[in-house]
Amino acid sequence: MNVNGTLPVPRPSKETQPFWEAARERRLVMPRCDECGRYTFPPSLACPYCGRGELRWVEVSGRGRVFSYVVFHRVYHPAFRDRVPYVVAVIALDEGPRLLSNVVGVPAERVECEMRVRAVFDDVRDGMVIPQFTPEEAT
Amino acid sequence: MRSSLSEKYAIVGAAASDLGRTGMSALALLEQAMRRAVDDAGLTMKEIDGLICRGPDDIYTHHQRMGRRLGIDARFSTSLDNGGASQILAVILAVMAIDAGLCTTVLCGYGRDSWTRTHRSSESRTSMDLVPAEQRPTEFSAEYGYFGAVATHALGARRHMYEYGTTREQLGHVAISFREHALRNPEAVMKEPLTLDDYLSARLIVEPYGLFDCSLVSDGAGAVVVTSADRAKSLKQPPVLIRGFGSFNNLTGWFEEDHMIRTAAAQSAKAAYEMAGIEPKDVDTAQLYDCFTGMVIVQLEDYGFCKKGEGGPFAQSGALRLDGALPTNTSGGQLSEAHVEGMLQIVEGVRQLRHTYPPERQVRDAEIALVSGHGGNTVCHSTLILRRGA
Repeated sequence: MNVNGTLPVPRPSKETQPFWEAARERRLVMPRCDECGRYTFPPSLACPYCGRGELRWVEVSGRGRVFSYVVFHRVYHPAFRDRVPYVVAVIALDEGPRLLSNVVGVPAERVECEMRVRAVFDDVRDGMVIPQFTPEEAT
Repeated sequence: MRSSLSEKYAIVGAAASDLGRTGMSALALLEQAMRRAVDDAGLTMKEIDGLICRGPDDIYTHHQRMGRRLGIDARFSTSLDNGGASQILAVILAVMAIDAGLCTTVLCGYGRDSWTRTHRSSESRTSMDLVPAEQRPTEFSAEYGYFGAVATHALGARRHMYEYGTTREQLGHVAISFREHALRNPEAVMKEPLTLDDYLSARLIVEPYGLFDCSLVSDGAGAVVVTSADRAKSLKQPPVLIRGFGSFNNLTGWFEEDHMIRTAAAQSAKAAYEMAGIEPKDVDTAQLYDCFTGMVIVQLEDYGFCKKGEGGPFAQSGALRLDGALPTNTSGGQLSEAHVEGMLQIVEGVRQLRHTYPPERQVRDAEIALVSGHGGNTVCHSTLILRRGA
């Protein structure tokens, strides 16, 4: 475990590199099957649903809803000591795929399941940018 | 229709190691439980020709280490990797291996040293240290501050609350019922009574889960011996027959579909009930995998002990208590006895069916026990149905 409190950054693989490159440009992309049109995230080499298609990264709207969420009170990593309580959520994008992220820009007690959210982007460090989500009505 | 394997095999020995804060290694704990289980069966190590086990995830070819400690050259042996679903899977695999003629008498077990491991030094004091560094995700996880099994399961509890109106009070009744059982079990780690006020005022860990929603960080191991029902008749203990089993694995993931609130337990239960030729109402006691309170509520529903969405009120009604409609986790479970990834649930199921407990711990006239296990953050599930032998 990291003891000096530096925020953890993703260590992408070759397969996930496009996701992080897009995030750096403030775009959210998701792997979509070029045969059946379903999204798969994180990606596999071929579509797990139809087994035929290849997955290609396409830009999505960044809009969706909170499928479920939790509020971290315990500090599991020193870099998050000043952030508790913070919200981690499973976001269901309007296009279908779900991804883990944070809900930010709203107090934890106001977050709800099915709340509408949109993507925002946070510069973590060292050029790594992560997509997070904020309530849709907040601008 | 009942399967031809139903009641063909039996559990003839069962034991736990020392539990709690032992200072022992996971391998030593399991060795202790395995020696006790073989002793309990009235057998010697020479008669064991199969070994199926599991330990902390950083121990490679775990069964080899155990075989060396126990002095067993096995005709069949392996280590499993289905998380908390592995322990029942070991019993299932034992039946399959014996039935295939590969061996005759299989020792199954699991051990962990979670307390000792996280309290060795002041630097290693978080549950994250239980996940080997090379197994931690490299992306889509830590950068969002997402760590640990509490959060994964809390996501499910939150969604269940949203869908069905489940409350923290209802979750609290799971913890309270199991604590009452632990107080009757001298080996249980938790010794103090737990009230609803204690539960609700405890510190939050990952909301909606607070301290008492979470299973214990404890040392412990358990082991059982599996052999044929025919052979069981001439052994030391009242035989406990393996009536049915099942498994299912939602490998597409916890975040997908409605897996968080309708788990693989549903399909695993169906297979096990079918093999056993029984229905939920025939179950006298349940020993459910209680890594977190919410998972008990979901399983009560998925196993058909109540309707979907009614697990909370069912727990609140007192049904899980020793004198309730479905005495559950009667040794205290992972929330209050010790967290041994489901292995102690099997041991407790066996002990209840032997009818050897003093009356204050015995589920009266227990004939059928249902045991569950899930793992890999609850995508893998397995079920064991046991019946008291004649």
